[in-house]
Amino acid sequence: SSQLSSLPLQILLYVNGIYYIFYFLATLAMIIYKSQVFSYPDDLLAPDLAVLFLMGILEVPRLYLGFKGNLTEAEAPLGLSLGLTVGSVVLCVYLLLWQTYVLWADVLLNAVLLSAYGLESGLKVTAIAAFVS
Amino acid sequence: PGDTHDAARVRSAPAPVTDVARLCVCDLLVAQCDVNCCCDPDCSAEDFSLFTTCSIPVVTGDSQLCSQKAAVYSLDVEANPPERIFKLIDQVNPSIFCIHATNYKQALYLKTPEIPTPENFDQLLEKFGGASFRAEPDSWDLDTDAQNAPETNETSRYEYGAPVQTEDAFLRLPSPVVSSWCSDANPAGFLVNQATKCIRSVSVEKCDSIQALSMLFYINSSILAVPKSSQMVNITVQSIVVQAVNGMRTLLSSSDVLRLPMVLDELCINAVLGVNYHITHTDTGEIIEAAAAFVLGAISKEALSIEQSFEISFTQENTQPVPLSGNPGYVVGLPVRAGFQPQGYPFPAAFLFAALSSNKHSQLTILQSTSTQDCLAAQGARAPVLFGYNMISGCKLRITAAMKCQPLAQTLLDVLKGQSFPEYVASFGNSQAQDVLDWVPITQLHISEQMISYTLQSSCQIPVSLGIEVKWTKYGSLVNPQARIVNVTATITTTTLKQLPSGRERIIPITSSVVFTDISSPAEPSYKAWPTINIKLPFDFFYPFV
Repeated sequence: SSQLSSLPLQILLYVNGIYYIFYFLATLAMIIYKSQVFSYPDDLLAPDLAVLFLMGILEVPRLYLGFKGNLTEAEAPLGLSLGLTVGSVVLCVYLLLWQTYVLWADVLLNAVLLSAYGLESGLKVTAIAAFVS
Repeated sequence: PGDTHDAARVRSAPAPVTDVARLCVCDLLVAQCDVNCCCDPDCSAEDFSLFTTCSIPVVTGDSQLCSQKAAVYSLDVEANPPERIFKLIDQVNPSIFCIHATNYKQALYLKTPEIPTPENFDQLLEKFGGASFRAEPDSWDLDTDAQNAPETNETSRYEYGAPVQTEDAFLRLPSPVVSSWCSDANPAGFLVNQATKCIRSVSVEKCDSIQALSMLFYINSSILAVPKSSQMVNITVQSIVVQAVNGMRTLLSSSDVLRLPMVLDELCINAVLGVNYHITHTDTGEIIEAAAAFVLGAISKEALSIEQSFEISFTQENTQPVPLSGNPGYVVGLPVRAGFQPQGYPFPAAFLFAALSSNKHSQLTILQSTSTQDCLAAQGARAPVLFGYNMISGCKLRITAAMKCQPLAQTLLDVLKGQSFPEYVASFGNSQAQDVLDWVPITQLHISEQMISYTLQSSCQIPVSLGIEVKWTKYGSLVNPQARIVNVTATITTTTLKQLPSGRERIIPITSSVVFTDISSPAEPSYKAWPTINIKLPFDFFYPFV
């Protein structure tokens, strides 16, 4: 067909955006809960919060570039988005494994996000391949 | 988990046990079996067969973890003989907020305390060496400046019980702590009138170097008018009384010269034996004046210790320092306050100046029974009437034939009522003399014992008993009712004095009593009226129909 934009990627990016908002608020609420219930010294709370906010800041251009690249069938924005995804994956792994307190809910949220990132990356690579060729 | 340094030291803290299978809280006796303790390793199978229950059925780790090990102990009573069952199971926390993992090791364990070593001993002693210590350091240091004062609420005034702050730390009222020796670390609390006595060890040779014996120690630092402010109130010397070695006290005429201790002829003179602080404050909790009255004395060479007495009292400005009997309601056990009204009161012009003056102690008093029980030799000993305490006292009057009636009746009236029987009683414990409406007049009644008028009216009547009935009520809120005196009635009962044949004498008892009666009506809780919505339509709302 003449349309090279990937529909599954578009759907996934859209769902990812909505899920990410929920993920961000839930993780922030849980960090606040942890700081009240457990002993959470300030020098351990600061890095965890910094990682979460950094991930939030990265997510916006990442999703925007993904949408733009897929819809305009351009591989440059999509490639940039893929690069940013790698950064987001690293931060997500931090929150999954190296946070001060990893609750069971944290494990679930981060696992879902990681699988979404993985699937997205696969679809982006396929889309870039389709656009280039 | 001690680090490698600990192993090199002579003593180290024992390693904490975290394995649930080895943790046993009921194992208290060493190398002996504890009764009903199923986890005790010192118990053998025969001991287990004698247990009735397991005092500790389960030992678990932190229950907030998603899965932790638990050691379950139980007794199988079916078996013969009963045996202990030990199971190691995995307990799962079903909550979604259970801790799956933590990268912060100290979160789940108690902190291991620091082992004192020659290097950190001084620092640990400074932190924990006092009589008490707080979790936050340097919160009550004696030599920190005012900025490091404890993080109490930043109030701009003193509250009851708050330590009175001075330039360097706080106003000291040395008092005995634990033993009778003086401790200089007792702060004076605002509005807390205190009187303390304690013993200080002295030596005559070094008496001019002992700070606590010199007047300067007690007045050199100025008091802060409000907490954490820079407004200072200097402590002035109100009076100096010099006590001689034989105990006689002389008031010095000039109290502005500072007399410091010095050694003179094997005596140490001008040593402080007592300080009496008088602090004047406003009704908003600000200190405006401070004065100290000293008692200086001489210490002889043989004395190894002296007793010092300290007192502090707080007075509100523009009020008489009358000791309150309650605030506002009377407190049981405190004296009932009473007084007179000055002449010329009823005129409204004199209202402002008509302060009710009181007799010497401004208290209602009754006759005090003495050991001799002789009314005429009573010497006017009177006891204050304490609120809530019914009292009865009396004496015996020996009547001889020679006694004349009228002077006797007058003397007995003086004995019963005292030299100046008050006319008004304060209705609240803190009634001020200026508030005339807070004072209740004493109703005086006369009852004649013999109503049958065999005897003529002109015959002699002498008072034999005085009964004071104080009616009080509970006033104010339901949860904190205040006692308020409503009515005071003083009843004098008189009896006829029959003329005695000469040579005979009679003894009649004279009694006086005080009775407190509670006339409070049962409390009715009252509720606020429901708020109503008060909407009024504008005058021309229905224009043009109206």
